[in-house]
Amino acid sequence: MANIREIQSRINSVKDTMKITNAMYMISSSKMTQARKKLSDTEPYFYALQGEISRILRHLPELEHRFFDVREKIPQDERRIGSIVVTADKGLAGAYNHNIVKLEEEILAKPGIHKLFVVGELGRHYFSKHGVDIDTNFQYTVQKPTMHRARDISAVLLEQFEKGELDEIYIVYTRMENSVQADAEVLKLLPLERSAFNEMKMPLNVHREAIELYPSAEAVLESIIPNYITGMIYGCLVEAYASEHNARMMAMKSATDSAQDLIKELSVVYNRARQAAITQEITEVCSGARAQQQKK
Amino acid sequence: MDTFGLKIIASDKVFYEGRCRNLVIPAPDGEKGILPNHENMIIAIAVGIARMEIEEGKWQEVAVGTGFVEIVNNRVTLLVDTAERPEDIDVRRAEEQRERAEEQMRQKQSIQEYYHTQASLARAMNRLKLAQDKKWNL
Repeated sequence: MANIREIQSRINSVKDTMKITNAMYMISSSKMTQARKKLSDTEPYFYALQGEISRILRHLPELEHRFFDVREKIPQDERRIGSIVVTADKGLAGAYNHNIVKLEEEILAKPGIHKLFVVGELGRHYFSKHGVDIDTNFQYTVQKPTMHRARDISAVLLEQFEKGELDEIYIVYTRMENSVQADAEVLKLLPLERSAFNEMKMPLNVHREAIELYPSAEAVLESIIPNYITGMIYGCLVEAYASEHNARMMAMKSATDSAQDLIKELSVVYNRARQAAITQEITEVCSGARAQQQKK
Repeated sequence: MDTFGLKIIASDKVFYEGRCRNLVIPAPDGEKGILPNHENMIIAIAVGIARMEIEEGKWQEVAVGTGFVEIVNNRVTLLVDTAERPEDIDVRRAEEQRERAEEQMRQKQSIQEYYHTQASLARAMNRLKLAQDKKWNL
């Protein structure tokens, strides 16, 4: 049986760790509530934007625009593929980072010239160790996503897309299904795909009203599409932020629970050891006394 | 007088939802007014100040960012990245934002960065312009 003092120090160290995990649990849960609120505030804008673009495309199917340019002349393995990867800044969030990394590796395995834009410290470390081409000027944190940051990110990407440095842009992030379910997901940002917007099928007998675009269709798209990309990136950042904290909250909760179980087990062992020591001491005293009596 | 349904959605909240009598928006080539039963249209919006008449003679001013307005069947949807009332504008912050943008404008930067700062400066100036009319905000 282990030494009493050893067990005691083990219990104390588990208790200390539990304090930390418990604190992290509470921090994450409060951050998640904020992120959730942010998410529900942005959703109307996000969906209205998507709906609008699909409506414009429905009314003007012949519209040609540079953001719809698929550049099909470029062969598969010469296509420059950029992906924004949203990971956490630190670990301790269960499988959250692992899932994102795994999904990104699947993209990297496909033909093409890949370039990564990593948001989050952990992903940056991982991919730089694995010798993947990372845009080093792209230093953004995932903490507290803001519209400003989304605007910066989309400006960088739109510039590279227009210059022809990138032919396709994806974003890899975690979408929060509900409070227990979160899935890593890939979303194509550019070029915009018509089919993605045409999901809402209109019944044939509905009158399609003509809509005039002012000053011109190009000018309207010019103002909507960068906004749409920014909105998408912002939405993804908020989703990822909420799921990160959800994942961390769950991980910390299970860590706290197992620490409690461990303490329970250890204190049983500790009590047994203590009892054994007491029993042994009594036995020693008794037998000592008896030996003295027999001497007389 | 007739009214139309107006919905203003900013990226962080639904700013306004209700009836409106008259709406003036900043288009890239000047202001445009929208009255009830307007023709179906989509108009791009530049950074500027929009005005809406909710009750007769009562105008509400709103500082808006870029976006667009859509008019379909007497329903107007305004989608912009930011929308602020004059009383919600933090003058000091806008002032700082303007100074920061002006500072960056003076430095050497790429064309992309230049547009970026220019847009940022336009937003700051717009906020200040609207807030300046309401002196008590200072």
